[in-house]
Amino acid sequence: MATLPAFLQRSEAGPESAQHSETQRRTAPARSERDPFQLRALPQDDVFFYCKKIDNSRLVREPDPQSRGACWSAIGAAAVLVTMLGTALAPSVANTLSGYKLEALRAEQRRLVDERRTLELSEAELLSPERLQKLARNQNLVTPKPGQVIHLETKDGGTVAMVKRQ
Amino acid sequence: MVERRLTWLAGIVLIWGAAIFFKLFSMQVLHHQQYLNQARARQEIVIPLPAPRGANFDRNGQPLAMSVPAESVYLNPLKVPDFEVAAELLGMVLHLDQAELYGKLAQAFENHRGYLVVKRKITFDEGQTLRSLGLEWIGIEASSQRHYPKGMLAAHVLGGVDFEEKGNAGIEKSLNDDLQGRAGEERLLADVKRRGIDSIHETEARAGTPVTLTIDERLQFVAEKELARAVEAHHAASGSVVVMNPNNGQILAMASYPTYDPNQPPEPGEPANARSNHAVSVPFEPGSVFKVVTITAALETTKLTPASPINCNGGVIRIAGQTIHDSHGGTGVVPMAIVLAKSSNVGAIQVGLRVGSENMYDYMRRFGFGQRTGIPLPGEARGRLRALNEWGKLSLPSVSMGQEVSVTGLQLAQAACVIANGGLRVKPQLVLKKGNQTVPQEPPVRVITPDTAITMRQMMEGVVTLPEGTGHNARLDGYRVAGKTGSAQIYDVAAHRYSHVYNGSFIGFAPLTNPAIVVAVTLNGTRGNVGFGGAAAAPVFQAVATEALRVLDVPKDLPEDAESVTLVAKAENVDDLAVTDQPLEERNILEEGDDDDQPAAAADTRPKVPNFRGMTMRAVLAEAASKGLTVLPAGSGLARVQDPPPGARLRQGERIRVQFVR
Repeated sequence: MATLPAFLQRSEAGPESAQHSETQRRTAPARSERDPFQLRALPQDDVFFYCKKIDNSRLVREPDPQSRGACWSAIGAAAVLVTMLGTALAPSVANTLSGYKLEALRAEQRRLVDERRTLELSEAELLSPERLQKLARNQNLVTPKPGQVIHLETKDGGTVAMVKRQ
Repeated sequence: MVERRLTWLAGIVLIWGAAIFFKLFSMQVLHHQQYLNQARARQEIVIPLPAPRGANFDRNGQPLAMSVPAESVYLNPLKVPDFEVAAELLGMVLHLDQAELYGKLAQAFENHRGYLVVKRKITFDEGQTLRSLGLEWIGIEASSQRHYPKGMLAAHVLGGVDFEEKGNAGIEKSLNDDLQGRAGEERLLADVKRRGIDSIHETEARAGTPVTLTIDERLQFVAEKELARAVEAHHAASGSVVVMNPNNGQILAMASYPTYDPNQPPEPGEPANARSNHAVSVPFEPGSVFKVVTITAALETTKLTPASPINCNGGVIRIAGQTIHDSHGGTGVVPMAIVLAKSSNVGAIQVGLRVGSENMYDYMRRFGFGQRTGIPLPGEARGRLRALNEWGKLSLPSVSMGQEVSVTGLQLAQAACVIANGGLRVKPQLVLKKGNQTVPQEPPVRVITPDTAITMRQMMEGVVTLPEGTGHNARLDGYRVAGKTGSAQIYDVAAHRYSHVYNGSFIGFAPLTNPAIVVAVTLNGTRGNVGFGGAAAAPVFQAVATEALRVLDVPKDLPEDAESVTLVAKAENVDDLAVTDQPLEERNILEEGDDDDQPAAAADTRPKVPNFRGMTMRAVLAEAASKGLTVLPAGSGLARVQDPPPGARLRQGERIRVQFVR
């Protein structure tokens, strides 16, 4: 088997080079006279390949409407198959993705509910009468007298407190 | 040859199919549950769904008790690699005693316990620190923690919970079934990264029912503050205050002293009676407040009237070998109304003797003494009211002046309600709503006639207003008050005689014409004359009743000098303003340059309309109030239109209409 460099070299040499090689082979010394320092040829080292140049430019493919139709049919069938497969699998995939999202939202909801409860507790602590009294005392506020605070009812159901100055 | 081969092939395929079928049958039918469990263990996560304990609210929706999520730390002692390291580590992070923790770990290991709770209700930071350690033998589990955000407020009413959040006192105990929720469980189908894909509710969580109490936290706070002040000022041992609505029996405040913080577990140094609700669970001898029952019974069962003369024998009477004195000085023959006002023991005994034992016992029962009120609080005492056949010779005189009988503060308040509401005994109500359902109130029971009740009201007013009365300290500005003082000597069991330590008490209600509140104050263990009910308990009544009437916005029933005109405008009235319906030229569009400082006619003393331009509603109302003017606001935002215009003089009774625009 020829090595690639040998193959390239020999295939590119052409017929003249081939004759030259033949001459060399004939004039080569006998086996006994072989140079001991020369590398031994590999098996089939003397096999030569030729590149046959083929010109297909003159060939013209004859139109085949049947094969084209078959090709398009195959493409269409594949497209339909993919579409059907996609249609069949899409809900499942969407369901799974929605499931991920839903569970993430549920976990978030649980966290927010817990957080709201904690915040409500904080609010209740801040609105403790004892704390409010201390704050009021620090600001020199006094308990209004009976009748001093008047609650006005508003349209939206809220109340507005006003304090009469006495 | 071919047929033979085909037969062999068919046989092999059949055997192969049969093997597959049997394997499938084994997996799907015979070992279904086993494989199902294995699959679930790999694919599913069990998420506990917390069911928070129902919150407690006051009547205005202010939270008094609520549960918030918390975490507890546990570990498996059998898997702990080194107890010393574990104790040191957990002790440092969780602020626990390391030696104690080491002992617990070692003991749990010796007992082959695989579960040991190290600390409950850890803080967020502690939880984060433990998680960051990433030690597999430390576990953190979600739990819930009960909080009482108002601290000691209404501690005796609310009670408390144990470490499993089961009520162990107060409302928490009596309504535990309603308040306690039922935790649920959710199975979560998870992917390889333990992210949830789909969930199945295994068991639905059922949150505890929130309970709304009849308590008003503002009144509760005042009641507790004034009670604590009085107990400390008079060096009393304990005390209680009950504020009730006499018309429906709703308890607006129930204070007890000494008190405690329900957020904290009981401590060794805590007073033994700190967690007792004295208003409900600790009966005492009522003393003179009980004369209300005696006089009421006399009005109903004898021909005695408030003006009937009663011989008080100079303040001394001798019955069955015992000499009984008046504690507020002796007197002679006085009307029965004065007997009550002056709180004469001798007079009450004389009246009681005319009433008789059977009638007296009957009326004590009618007023609700000797029986539980049925309030939903654990440990309610029924008081001590001996059966009639157990009465001795001194029983009727003693009972007539409030001895030989014991009552609770709540029973006293209930009895005062009978007088205040016209003769109906109402059951004390503490729970207003469970969830959104209003708790129905039992219909009241008529126990005395309305005429008797009205007569008693007037006589009890004399206790506060008459010069001879003992309850002057209970007077209120702007309101007519009825009340009765009580100063019962506490019996010294060791010495077998009554000591000079008193149960000072006061029951009263206001306003007299249409009572809105009943207040019962008791101070146990007061000393000396300053420990009498009139001196020690009546001021507490005054402070609590003043605040209650203010908070409840109860109209005054006494004329006040120079009281400013109340300015109340309802939204419905605002609708008839019709300011915007007026032609534009007649409106008083408030523009720059409008001024209310126009010179007024010298003789015209009518108030001048201020310029409210650009002011907020609050500022307009405040300025109007400061000048004694009535404003009818409309809209919202800033004042834009007003009628009459700035600077105009108001006619008597005329109101200023102000249109606010954003």
